[in-house]
Amino acid sequence: MVIFKKTVFYTILFAAALTFLYPFIWMILATFKPEIEITEITLLPSVFTLRSYELVFNKIPIIRSFLNSLFVSVTATASVLFFSSMVGYSLSRLQFRGRELIFGVILLTMMIPAQITLIPMYILMVKLDLTNTYRALIFPASISAFGILLFRQYFKAFPQEIIDAARIDGAGEFTILYRIIWPNSIPTLITVGIITFMGIWNDVLWPLIVIRKENLMTMPQMVTLFSVGGRAEAQLGAILAAATLLAVPVMLIYLFFQKYFIRSMATSGLKN
Amino acid sequence: MRYKVLLSFFLIAIQLQFVSCSGNERERGEKYLTYWPAANQQEIDLAKKIVEKWNVIHPEFPVRMEPIPSGQSSEEVLLAAIAGKTTPDICSNIWPGVMEQYVEAGAVVNLDTMPGFDSLLTARIPETVVKGYSSSDGKYYQLPWKSNPVLFIYNRRYFDVLGIDSLPKSYSEFYEIAQRIKEMPIDDGLPLQWIHYRNILPIWWQRLFDFYPFYIAASGGKTLLKDGKVDFDNDTAVKVFEFFAEGYEKGYVSKSLLQMEDLFIKEKVLADIVGPWRVSHLAKFAPDLKYTYGPLPRPGGSEGPGLSYADPKSIVIFNNTPYPKMAWEFVKFLVSEENDRMLLDMTAQLPIRSGLLEKATFKEYFEANPGLKVFAEQVPYAIGVDRTIYLQEIFDIISQEFDAACVHRVKTPKEGISDAAKRVRLLLERDR
Amino acid sequence: MNRKLSLMGYLMSAPYIIYFIIFSAFPIFFSFFLIFHRWNIVGPMKWVGLANFNMMFSDPLFWTSIYNTIIFLLIHIPLQVVVALVLAEVLNQKIKARAFFRAAFFMPVVVSGVVVTILWKQLYSTDTGLLNNLLMAIGFGKVEWLTSTAMAMPSIALMATWKNVGLYMILFLAGLQSVPAYMYEAADIDGATTLQKFRYITIPAINPVIIMVLILSTIGGFSLFIEPYVMTGGGPLNSTLSTVLYIYRQGFSFYKMGYAATLGFMLAAIIFVVVLIQRKLIEQDD
Repeated sequence: MVIFKKTVFYTILFAAALTFLYPFIWMILATFKPEIEITEITLLPSVFTLRSYELVFNKIPIIRSFLNSLFVSVTATASVLFFSSMVGYSLSRLQFRGRELIFGVILLTMMIPAQITLIPMYILMVKLDLTNTYRALIFPASISAFGILLFRQYFKAFPQEIIDAARIDGAGEFTILYRIIWPNSIPTLITVGIITFMGIWNDVLWPLIVIRKENLMTMPQMVTLFSVGGRAEAQLGAILAAATLLAVPVMLIYLFFQKYFIRSMATSGLKN
Repeated sequence: MRYKVLLSFFLIAIQLQFVSCSGNERERGEKYLTYWPAANQQEIDLAKKIVEKWNVIHPEFPVRMEPIPSGQSSEEVLLAAIAGKTTPDICSNIWPGVMEQYVEAGAVVNLDTMPGFDSLLTARIPETVVKGYSSSDGKYYQLPWKSNPVLFIYNRRYFDVLGIDSLPKSYSEFYEIAQRIKEMPIDDGLPLQWIHYRNILPIWWQRLFDFYPFYIAASGGKTLLKDGKVDFDNDTAVKVFEFFAEGYEKGYVSKSLLQMEDLFIKEKVLADIVGPWRVSHLAKFAPDLKYTYGPLPRPGGSEGPGLSYADPKSIVIFNNTPYPKMAWEFVKFLVSEENDRMLLDMTAQLPIRSGLLEKATFKEYFEANPGLKVFAEQVPYAIGVDRTIYLQEIFDIISQEFDAACVHRVKTPKEGISDAAKRVRLLLERDR
Repeated sequence: MNRKLSLMGYLMSAPYIIYFIIFSAFPIFFSFFLIFHRWNIVGPMKWVGLANFNMMFSDPLFWTSIYNTIIFLLIHIPLQVVVALVLAEVLNQKIKARAFFRAAFFMPVVVSGVVVTILWKQLYSTDTGLLNNLLMAIGFGKVEWLTSTAMAMPSIALMATWKNVGLYMILFLAGLQSVPAYMYEAADIDGATTLQKFRYITIPAINPVIIMVLILSTIGGFSLFIEPYVMTGGGPLNSTLSTVLYIYRQGFSFYKMGYAATLGFMLAAIIFVVVLIQRKLIEQDD
């Protein structure tokens, strides 16, 4: 009886897991099928073909868009880590007038929904001649209020004696932050890093608005436009292949660094 | 050291951005033109060839070709380019329906001032329709380039199966065939399931390929507005709506969001509403498929040549160009007889020019492709679109009413048309 | 010394102040300015007073889009909470291959929304989709997942749940693991039923997580864009038209910047009020 119960339990659990994995498996395998077979229910292609990928590589600069995304996400993430920790440090370990005001402003901006700034931000980019530049993607993402709060929270608990000792040794505040506190804050750095990176990497709306030049487009943007625009010439296989190319790198990174991903994303829930 | 590494990486990254973006060769004195053709494969290939030829003749002033960046529609992308001042020098995929907006924004070059424009224009367009390409200030900002009359393409393989001996001319003949398709047993070994299919996404430009051409055909050449007032609040438009409503109601027409899948190539539909560009598309993806063209059915199936929407595209020069004179030279080169023939050969789209059926250069093409002849005959008289800055919004309104009255039938076709007319009137009045 | 430190404080928080002025304060003030104008960016700006607001209040599509979002939230949030809770409860047991199951449930969270949307658009396709093929194979009829007004928004909500449930599962799991084992043991001794244990031990422990899920999903729901943009274009019959998609269309298809800014302004106000009400209700509860 116990064995029977267990079998049923694991079967259901496995079916649940399959619900989350099967669509991806189907998608990846479908990209190797001939176009005519894609909508068939069978999983494996009758003949293995790379035609869908050929179409994608011939039609859109997908590699370039991958590099664009990588460049933008890495730069913005580096900037967020650098500046947000700086601000977080000043708000937690330095005394100055107006500190609480700045903290209040940060909390307030986090409560204002982003939708209100969408149109004015676009106009700002137009007026600064920043449309169709990487800067239009990086600058608005260069500091994160959430990152500041997280760093502030974490730095608060850092032992004051160590900081005092460093100051007596003549270390400046930047040295203290980046050479003494950073090496001791790796988990927080990873958390802010992953959340920021994933947020920028996956954003589509903003790139759609400010980037209209094909060789500057981000990868999710390019794949989106490939699927809704006419460029794919209604070749479902090519669209799925583009989606697969977008999904697989992140999936692989996730599988290797699962622990960090899950921990970091769980922290993102603390936002509010 | 760690933070210094990060800091220097960051600084390098910022440097890189400036280099990569403001590194405009033009500022370093290099001379060239930028040209955006439409982003479909055939036109990209055509543009490549034409640009190659130009660059051989004019090595001192080369053209750099880049297809219009992807977007939900070219119009959206071009307007963004105008706003961001990132337009190319020349673009050859301009829908005349947005010209008024470009003119109002001061984004395009007045071509009247260009040497030889008048003679080139009159050589391409008969005087009777040439006014349709002028702007409301009376000036010309666009050179009509090509046309893509919207028509039906039929899969010939099914003609015997379905007992079709002549192409359907009226709505009732058309749906008679549809009924036969529906009655066919499912496991007959044929993939055929519907008479045709349309993407039902309610995006404004989708109506350019169903409601609008059918309305032109049914009304004998009317467009949506006349003297700036609504001209589709009539029985003809209702009949067109009824036609589509019946198709969806009886399941004659596939209702999937089929943007991603080509049911005609998969032979699941008998017919498809397309422009002649489809010829080269089919040659690439389904070389063995046998097909034929036919005009759009009309309510009563009346005689005479069937009109349709011409889906014309024009060439413009954008005001941002530092070299308007040279750009004009390239435009003239683009529409030369030789290149117009190449347009036919490579894309099966029809150049807008008179004498298409008489001139030897083109004549032999139509002898080899008689199916396209009927559309070539129409080209000089092809129906385009109205001249208003609200055209996209008008099509957006019609699109929503089409969705309501035809696809989902929550109101009658009559209500759909009269609601659309009401809303368009409101739109036109608002700004007065 | 202190003076120097306080100077450093200003210096080190300067990046945020600059960022705030350019990317928060300016856009917000500029949007106050825009909502009284009609402007297509390329032409001249025209003062229209409250015309944009009049237009908005009589614009059925804007209110449809708000209504659609509420429908989305009403389906998505309960479904999300229940499924996430069940999965978390299961993963909190002593089971084999727990890491595998956790990784599987979390997979859609990390994959880009675009991929998920493209994939599900195909799965949902009425005539050729995998889901309907499956239903037909086991003898059911076709479901018009995305092509009927009644089903389209629920289908999108179902997909969004599939995508996000892993994240909320992890949050719930953290909540569940914070409950000390002795509490359940004590309840066992008192003879509590499973349901009672759930009601009086588990629910209070994860209550903060439920609040979080509620607020996060609400904000997320009001930002719905890519799903209808790729899958339905807002159709059928505007039943999946989300407010952000509508703003995008007004702003970037028709270039009505003043009107789009007005809609953005209104949407932000609505979100603000809804979240505020949610908080108030929850605080009253406690």
